[in-house]
Amino acid sequence: MLLPLIGILVGIIVGVMFPVKIPVEYAKFMSVALLAALDSVFGGLRAGMEDKFDNVIFISGFFTNAMLAAGLVYIGDRLGIDLYYVALLTFGLRIFQNLAIIRRYILKK
Amino acid sequence: MKIVRQGQIAIALVCAVLGFMLAVQFRTTQDIRASLPYQRVEDLSQRLQETEKERDALLEELAKLRDSLTETSSWETQKIKMAAGIVPLRGPGVVITIDDSKRPAKPGENPNLYLIHDDDMLKVINELWAAGAEAVAINEQRLIASSEIRCAGPTLSVNNTRYSPPYEIKAIGSPQTLVNALKMRGGVVETLQFWGIQISIKPQEVVEIPAYKGTFRFEYAKPVENGGK
Repeated sequence: MLLPLIGILVGIIVGVMFPVKIPVEYAKFMSVALLAALDSVFGGLRAGMEDKFDNVIFISGFFTNAMLAAGLVYIGDRLGIDLYYVALLTFGLRIFQNLAIIRRYILKK
Repeated sequence: MKIVRQGQIAIALVCAVLGFMLAVQFRTTQDIRASLPYQRVEDLSQRLQETEKERDALLEELAKLRDSLTETSSWETQKIKMAAGIVPLRGPGVVITIDDSKRPAKPGENPNLYLIHDDDMLKVINELWAAGAEAVAINEQRLIASSEIRCAGPTLSVNNTRYSPPYEIKAIGSPQTLVNALKMRGGVVETLQFWGIQISIKPQEVVEIPAYKGTFRFEYAKPVENGGK
């Protein structure tokens, strides 16, 4: 459980150190991609607890989810459909679901 | 507590990316919050009003202080003040009104030619000084040594105040000389009128020119000791 926490800390430190800035127009894409990443992490944790973890599925899922989410938002932006909320809702729901399952596993010991 | 055995490293890696994204996103959101549109408009306009009030009060104080100085001044200092432009002046002179051309631009022609620009104004002003004008003002802005005349978008900036056409130039000097200098053959007025720019020159017995209302700032310049000898 420690390694992921170290990973997130390292990521935050690197992000703070690097003066990378995202233009305001793209902040929306970034936020969706962020949510997708969060979802992947929770999904991965859950899979790990269920002993079903697969490296390839996890990594590929992480990237495809993030890309797809950002792409969906982009297309929605172009078409005037707020697909942003679709991605938001889906990932949000899944995060909560995964979190609930993880919690059960942890409590059951 | 159940320990996640598998995929620790992969999850850690993804977590690192996630952390990076979090930090970047956090900073971006911070930037958006700090940007102008997100600050409350009322707050800004209130601040503007306060500053304007303060400015007006300070201007009044400045005028009062300058007035109190005038009472105890000799002819020499009075002359210096007149030249510096901090006292309103009155005398014979001309009033010139300049407006953009009403003539429509021909196709393919630069429409800018039919508008008044800073260089047109500068030419007129230059001609006035050359003809012995003693004081010049554009739309109530007294021209002093450091006055700028500059295009600011569609407006003209004089003494950091913006004006849109028509512009009124007042000059004190010999009315006849001033008028003749401007209407000189091949002179400024002829050139401007060629483009249809409306320019009217009225010689007047009494022209009143306001004082310079701004302040003088000397951040870098210092007087030389011993009067520079």
